[in-house]
Amino acid sequence: MSGEHLSLTLRVWRQDGPEDPGRFETYQLDNVNPHMSFLEMLDVLNEQLIESGDEPVEFDHDCREGICGMCSLMINGQAHGPDRATTTCQLHMRRFRSGDTITIEPWRASAFPVVRDLVVDRSAFDRIIQAGGYVSVNTGNAPDGNAIPVPGTVQETAMDAAACIGCGACVAACKNASAMLFVSAKVSQLAMLPQGQAERTRRVLGMVTQMDEEGFGACTNTSECEAACPAEISVSHIARLNREYVRAALTAG
Amino acid sequence: MGSVSRILSLPARLLAQVPGLGPVVQAAATSVGQKILMAVTGFLLCGFLVTHLAGNLLLYAGEERFNHYAESLHSWGVVLNAAEAGLLALFLAHIGLAISTTAMNRQARRHRYAEKDSKQDPTAIPGGASSWMVVTGILIAFFLILHVTDMRLKMNPVVDYEAAVQDGTMSEFRAVHLVLTSYATSWGYVVGLIALGIHLSHGVRSAFQTLGISHPRWNGLLDIAGQLFAWVITLGFLSLVVLAALRSVS
Repeated sequence: MSGEHLSLTLRVWRQDGPEDPGRFETYQLDNVNPHMSFLEMLDVLNEQLIESGDEPVEFDHDCREGICGMCSLMINGQAHGPDRATTTCQLHMRRFRSGDTITIEPWRASAFPVVRDLVVDRSAFDRIIQAGGYVSVNTGNAPDGNAIPVPGTVQETAMDAAACIGCGACVAACKNASAMLFVSAKVSQLAMLPQGQAERTRRVLGMVTQMDEEGFGACTNTSECEAACPAEISVSHIARLNREYVRAALTAG
Repeated sequence: MGSVSRILSLPARLLAQVPGLGPVVQAAATSVGQKILMAVTGFLLCGFLVTHLAGNLLLYAGEERFNHYAESLHSWGVVLNAAEAGLLALFLAHIGLAISTTAMNRQARRHRYAEKDSKQDPTAIPGGASSWMVVTGILIAFFLILHVTDMRLKMNPVVDYEAAVQDGTMSEFRAVHLVLTSYATSWGYVVGLIALGIHLSHGVRSAFQTLGISHPRWNGLLDIAGQLFAWVITLGFLSLVVLAALRSVS
């Protein structure tokens, strides 16, 4: 199974620019090595397109090892493809069979406008992070390791939230294009730690307000985001965001 | 549109004038705030369902006991009317918030996917109920209109309410029986109640999460409790329709 090269039909979303209505183009790709990653397969497609004088397909990518959050893609209707806890760059072509038709679309959300082809503008996430403000941490000498006590379980949960790479798969997979999993991860990672207490109230109110302003949807608690998240962020962080929000609404100002 | 939204936001603007409530009203306007209000109104409506079912289960106890319950409830007079108005306000708030958040959600994805699939375990309880909240909500709203027309206003044209009058006074027990044994109406009740069960099977569990009530130790139990509440309430009400059918046979 793994030695055989694959013949694939690719249905790829092509869009010349933000204002272009866009359309699907179908490409035939033969001799696909099953050991290639999904992005390498697209590289091969682009080489083939360039050789035949066509425009290559634009797609986001950077580290290609699952930690940067740049790659995206809705692959056969699933964010980052069919596997759980996997980014598109970590998805291998051995997951597909020869003769398969693969539909590739960009993230679809009003807050993530398409820039070109499969590239979307995710700067809405950056503005949400900015709306959260800063963290008051003293600079200077490295602090003593145990100067600020943090229970191990709390530290682990905060670290789980901090694993979010901001790729936007949660928004892409959510039927409401809601950014709640992303925002909850960013709120949780600081709300749980002593270093994040000073701006705790202001942060959650600011981030939620910005999230709405960017045009993301509301949370219906379907947990589709959790299943799609390559960093396996839990929806328990959404519950924490809701608690933080109630607390802030009652104590702010 | 501007004047409509000004009128609709009037209660919120009045509340914001109350000392201390300004920031709360402001926070309630966001998507998170609206979902929290949705959960709170949902829970309060669940409280109504419990008392409503508890009272209605007296239909099993027979005509005298049920009519006595109905009379004592009616004897509350103005207090009962105030409670009814409060209940109506809760329903309208819940529906208004649903319209508002659904509009938000539609706006958030104007361009839909050509293909969309799920990564969730398809066998996981409660299945796809979360995708049916708007549809089941609309069905419940229609059922409520039917239900209030039947039982509260007694204006269902296919029911002969005169037949329920005993010695010059309306027997609520007989009126309920007539409504529940009217063929078309009873099927409306069955459909409405099943829609309620589906709605609650996601809504109750979801409301806990929205209010931030979540803990790895308790989440499994909350899953079960949410399903149990939804279907005990639904089967409780459905049993009254079946009871009426059985009584009309015997």
